[in-house]
Parts: sequence; C-alpha cells; structure tokens
Amino acid sequence: MKHIVYMSRAVRPMTDPDLQELLDQSRHDNVRQGITGILFYSHGNIAQLFEGPAEQVDPLFDRICRDGRHSHVRKLVDAPIEARSFPSWSMAFHPLEPSGFAALEGFLLPHQLPPLPSSLTIADALLVQLVQLAVFGPDPTQPFQHRHADPPGALDA
Amino acid sequence: MPAPHFEQLLRRLQAGVATLEGPELRYGFVNEQMQALVGTNAEGRTLAEQPGLLPAALLEVLPKVFAAGTPYAARACACGSAADSPNVRHFDLVVDPYDGEAGQPAGLLLLAVDVSEQEAARQRAHELALTTRQLDARLRVLTETAPLFTYTMSPQGEVTYVSPQWYRFTGQPDTADLTAIWPLLVHPDDRLRVLFESETARRTGTGWNYEYRLRRYDGQYRWMLSRALPEVHPPDQPVAWHGALTEVHLQRELSEARRRGEAELRFLADSIPELVWTTSAEGLVEYYNHYTKSYSGLTTEELGPTGWVGLLYPEEQAAAARRWVQSVASGEDFEGEYRLRRADGVYRWHTIRARRLNDGSGPRWFGAASDVEEQHRLRQVLQTQYDELARAHHNLDTFVYAASHDLRQPTHNLRGLFEELRRSVRFTDPEQALMLRMVDTALTHLDSTLADLTATVQTQRQQQEPVEILDLALGLEEILLGLRPQIVHQGASVQIDVQEAPGLLYSRANFRSVVHNLVSNALKFAHPLRPPQVLLRNYLTDDGQPVLEVRDNGLGMRIDDPHNPAFRLFARQHTQVEGTGVGLYLVQRIVTSQGGHIEVDSTPGIGTTFRVFWAAPLGMRE
Repeated sequence: MKHIVYMSRAVRPMTDPDLQELLDQSRHDNVRQGITGILFYSHGNIAQLFEGPAEQVDPLFDRICRDGRHSHVRKLVDAPIEARSFPSWSMAFHPLEPSGFAALEGFLLPHQLPPLPSSLTIADALLVQLVQLAVFGPDPTQPFQHRHADPPGALDA
Repeated sequence: MPAPHFEQLLRRLQAGVATLEGPELRYGFVNEQMQALVGTNAEGRTLAEQPGLLPAALLEVLPKVFAAGTPYAARACACGSAADSPNVRHFDLVVDPYDGEAGQPAGLLLLAVDVSEQEAARQRAHELALTTRQLDARLRVLTETAPLFTYTMSPQGEVTYVSPQWYRFTGQPDTADLTAIWPLLVHPDDRLRVLFESETARRTGTGWNYEYRLRRYDGQYRWMLSRALPEVHPPDQPVAWHGALTEVHLQRELSEARRRGEAELRFLADSIPELVWTTSAEGLVEYYNHYTKSYSGLTTEELGPTGWVGLLYPEEQAAAARRWVQSVASGEDFEGEYRLRRADGVYRWHTIRARRLNDGSGPRWFGAASDVEEQHRLRQVLQTQYDELARAHHNLDTFVYAASHDLRQPTHNLRGLFEELRRSVRFTDPEQALMLRMVDTALTHLDSTLADLTATVQTQRQQQEPVEILDLALGLEEILLGLRPQIVHQGASVQIDVQEAPGLLYSRANFRSVVHNLVSNALKFAHPLRPPQVLLRNYLTDDGQPVLEVRDNGLGMRIDDPHNPAFRLFARQHTQVEGTGVGLYLVQRIVTSQGGHIEVDSTPGIGTTFRVFWAAPLGMRE
C-alpha cells in the first residue's frame, strides 16, 4: 500500500458538468482499481490524496500527469503506508449549483469534510490540511478567490 | 490552296485582322476577332465613321502611317470606353501599310492580338513588386531600428549581412571585412566555443543559440545572445543562416548576481549550526539546510514537505501542526518551544520560529530552530531551586510564627508564676530585689521579642494586602495617637508635613507598620540630653516618586559599620537601649516587598534621617 499527494492547476476553470464528469469517471475507475482518497478542487486549484496498491497507484499517477485538463503537477508525497485512511474515494468542491450535486455519491462540500482519520501520521494530516487550505482558503464555506490569479504586487495590498 | 479557304482561316484566326483601304481608311476585310474591337458590319465604312473601341491615339496615328508608309506597332494598348474600366482589354496592335499592284500605298493591314491576360498578369506582378518593395523597406526599417542586430551567414561561414546597429555597436567601418573581423571581436575566452558551435550548426543544418561577449566600440566586452535559423528550401541544403544578436549583459549580470546571492545565502544557511528551512506560500517545506538533515538523520525526501512535525515530541505534534496551519492561514509568525528528536533518538529543546516574507515573487516562509536545551535545563534547575527555597522560606516563617506563638503562652505562665512567687515569698536581701527586677525585665523583653517576631511573620503574609489611596495626614495622626504615651512621657515634639504629597497608594497595614516602627525607633533612640524632635515629611522626588522622610535628633548610628548593618534581623545598634532588633528588619522587608527601598543618613550624636521610597524607581516597575 502506498499513497501519493499532489497539487496542480486546471488548464481552464472547470464547469459543473466538467466536475461531474470528473467525479463520475474517477469514482468509476477508482472503485475498480481499489483506489481511495480525496480530491479538492476550487478555482482551478486541484489537490488530491489517493491510496491503494502500489501497482495501481503508480500507473494512476502517470495517467494523471499526462491528463491534459491540468498542468503544473507537483508531487508532494509518495510514500508507503500501512493501512488505508480513506474508506472510499470522494471529491470536494464548490459547484455553482450545489443542489444538483448534494445527492451524488462521493461529492462533498468543502466545509463538510469529515475530520482527518487518525490513521494518517500527523505529518501527513498536516500536509492534507495545508493543501486543503491552499485550495479552499481560510474559510472553506466561501468559494476561495485565489491569490495566484492576482498580478504580482497585489499580494501585499 | 484556294482563296476562300484561306479567307476562312483568316476569319477564325485567334487574332484580329482587318484591312483599311485607301487614304480614307475604309474597312475592307474584318475577321471575327477584330469585330470585337471595331464592331460588326464595319466592312465598307471608314475608320472615322466607325472607330469602335480603338484608342483615340491610334486613330490619329493611322492616317500618318498610311502617309508615311512605315509600319507601326503599339504594345498593350488599352481599348475600351474608359481606360480604367474593369472590362478594358489590352491588345498588341501592328499596323502594316501595303502597296497596291502599281506600287502606290493602297491601305493598311491592322493586326490586333489580345494580350489582356498577359497585361493583367504584368499589372499584378508590378503591384506585387511594389508591395514587396514596401515590405522590404518596412522590414529594413524594423531590423535597422530594433535594439537587436540582424545578420546573415552563408553555409560557408561568410557573413553576408549585418544590420547597421552592429557597426554602430562595434565601431567598425562599413568597409570592414565582416567574415574576417567578427571572430576577432568575440572575447578570447568565448571565441573558440562560438566558432565551434556556429560551424557545427552549419554542418548539421540546424539553428544555434549561444551567448558570448562582444567587444563594444569602447573596448568593453558585453554579453550578447546570438540566435539563428537556417533558410531552407527543401530538398536543397540551407542557403543561409539568418539570425539576431541581442545584448543580454544586464540580464546576465543580474541573474549572475542573483545566482551568486542565492548560492551565498544557501551556503550561509548550510553553514550555521541551526535547523533552517524555507517553505512555499502553502506552508510546504521546499528546503532544509544541511544541519537539519544531519541533526535529524533524514534526507529532504524522507522529511518531505511537512516531515519536520514528525521530529517533534509525539505529544506536541498535533498542537504544533494546528499552530502551523493557523500561521499559514493568517500569516502570523509561528513561534514555540518544542523538543526535537536528534538522529540518535535524544530529544532536545528548541525554540522554533518561522516568519512570512512578502515580496514581489509571492509569499514564502523562513523557519529556524535553535537549540535551547542548556537554557531549558538551567531554567529547570533554577525553578527547582526556587521552589525549594520558597518552601523552606515558608516553612521557616511557619516555624517562627508557631514558635513565637507557642512560646508566648509559657512566657505568660512564667510571668504569672513569677508574680505569684514574688507575692508569696518574702525577699529580704536588697541584692535579691535587684535580681527580681532583672528577671522581670528579662521576661518583658522575651515577651516583646516574641510579639515582634509574630508581627514580622504576619507582615510577611500581609504582603498581598489590597492597596488603597491613603490620606497621609490622617494616617500619620492615627499612628502618633498610638504612640502618645511615649511622646508625652519623653516630652517629644512630632511635626507632620504632607502638603507636597498628601496621598499615597499603599496597603494601610503595611503603611502603619513602617511608620510605627520608624517613629517608635526615633523615640526609643532619643538623645539623653535633649527632648526628641521628629519630622515626618512626605514629598515627591524629581521623577514623581513619593518618599517619606523621618528625621530625628537622637543618638544616630554608624552606617558604614559592616558589623552593624541597620536592617538585619536582630541587629541592634544600641545595646544600652531596650529593643528586640526586629523593627528595622521588618520595615525593610515591607518596603522592598512593594518594590521600594530605604535610604539612611545618620551622624552619631546628631540624629538620623530615614527616607522611605515607597515605589520602585520609574522604568523598573512591571
């Protein structure tokens, strides 16, 4: 068993149908391959933790790297684990029309994320919290306007 | 070949043929093609009657041609109503006079070949040439004004063109042999490399991209970026390489300085014996210095972006992680003391600090951990010792209090028994009477010592008493009232002067103890030859501190005598005067416990002045 955490940027902002397609496709593939984990998306920022057997996790990451829908893939962690920390695969984001997503399996609103399981080491839990913070910002109830989009110099303003 | 047949051929000829007969130029034969030019049914009519589409210039020329008898040709004559209309056609016109059988001029043979297509093509070519010339001029202006130099090099390495900027930059004359001179202008350290790279690229038919130093007109070498691409017309070999030279000196120096700066900083970070790391805006560590790796025994990969938290003492990890997330979210400094695991498994205390840097390239965090194990250990030792001392001190106080309290009862009993004894036993010897008095004095002394001791311990416990604003005039009067018997007995005069500072923020009980002790001391150590005079004056120092001055005209004392320090417990200055030696010690303890201090001036035989500084000096208050 191993897990991988990465962050990336969507090539273009993902619409509700894009997100739903990604959710359906990933859930379908991941269930079949025994991959579990969580994906965060907000305003073009993507972060994902996924875990499973190494022989499934590594090829999945290769496919993710080649996926044309995102770029700037930064692998943060690639390490063996003793046990799964996520019972299923799910995805958290702010849809424009949340009503249509509420009933979908595997969908979570960013501020409704369950607490991180204690099976993660504190270093890994800290990492997940930091990428969550980077994707959703300090207040996950609000869609987070990212600083990356700002022109340089506006950061200190 | 029969004539009609021949005429038919003429009629169908893909060129206009007509004859103009006689001086009046009457149309004779007009074939189909020519009809398009002069119109139908022209035969028999004169040229003047039916000019058709023939251009006016030709109409004027034709009679002259007839008269002169010399052929005439006009190329690409525009024929039509208006020369610039779109359906204008162009013809090559040939006029040939022919003679009659008698040799006299008989008429003109007019041949018209439609060259409209060719003419249109020629026009297009002309326009294209014009456009090309304009584009060429524009390109030239652009290449010759842009802040880069353009050049062309042949496959053999001959420089066939450089833009004028190159001459201006290098200071070379227009007549310079470019091929020969340019390698000489390249910095000697770069020359062979540049020649080699350029030659390799030309041999393999690829472009090039390299930097080198080029000598400027003033002799300075400046860094240039040279890029070129081959001009290829497949399947042939490239015919030339076209390229541009850009001055990149400043950028190069800047990036050099940056590289150097970064390398130096990194070297610095790697040299200091502290744990140093930097993180991205997201709070993920990107760099650990050497010391971090040697301290933890882990590589950067093993530590990972958040691995530092794993070095902490297990019970402290969660809180530190929460604190760090909070810092990243808010931008606040991260600071705390944590135990960090060394490679050998030993945990040592560290102060961890991280601060966010905001500059043009986005926020980043810089963190450092300093080993404070020694300080921590020292502090623990000090704390232990302090606790022990406090305990011992408390025990001592309790003991003194209990002892003095417990001893008072037996003293009372003793005194009672002694009184009883004196009443029931008759003493006849006067010596005995003296002894009785001495026993009495000793008992009284014992009793007051015990009382004072109890008071000392009690004051100790009153240190936390509430403070209030005291009306000093009233407070002092009250105290003097308590001492009234002695004052009357000794005929003493006591003056109070609190006009300058009538109020004081202090605990009432403590204030009473201090003043009572000082005044009763003043009375007690009065000079035997004069009635005591005591002045009580409360005033403010220059920096606003309240001070109580107690001045007497009593016995005085030697302040600099190390064997008789004024404020030591049981230290007595005048053994001939009765007392317990507790008073001044008590005063000292009260005043210092409130942050103040006491100063004494005294001259033996003249008098003593005590100054009680009630509060801590400015700047030392907490």
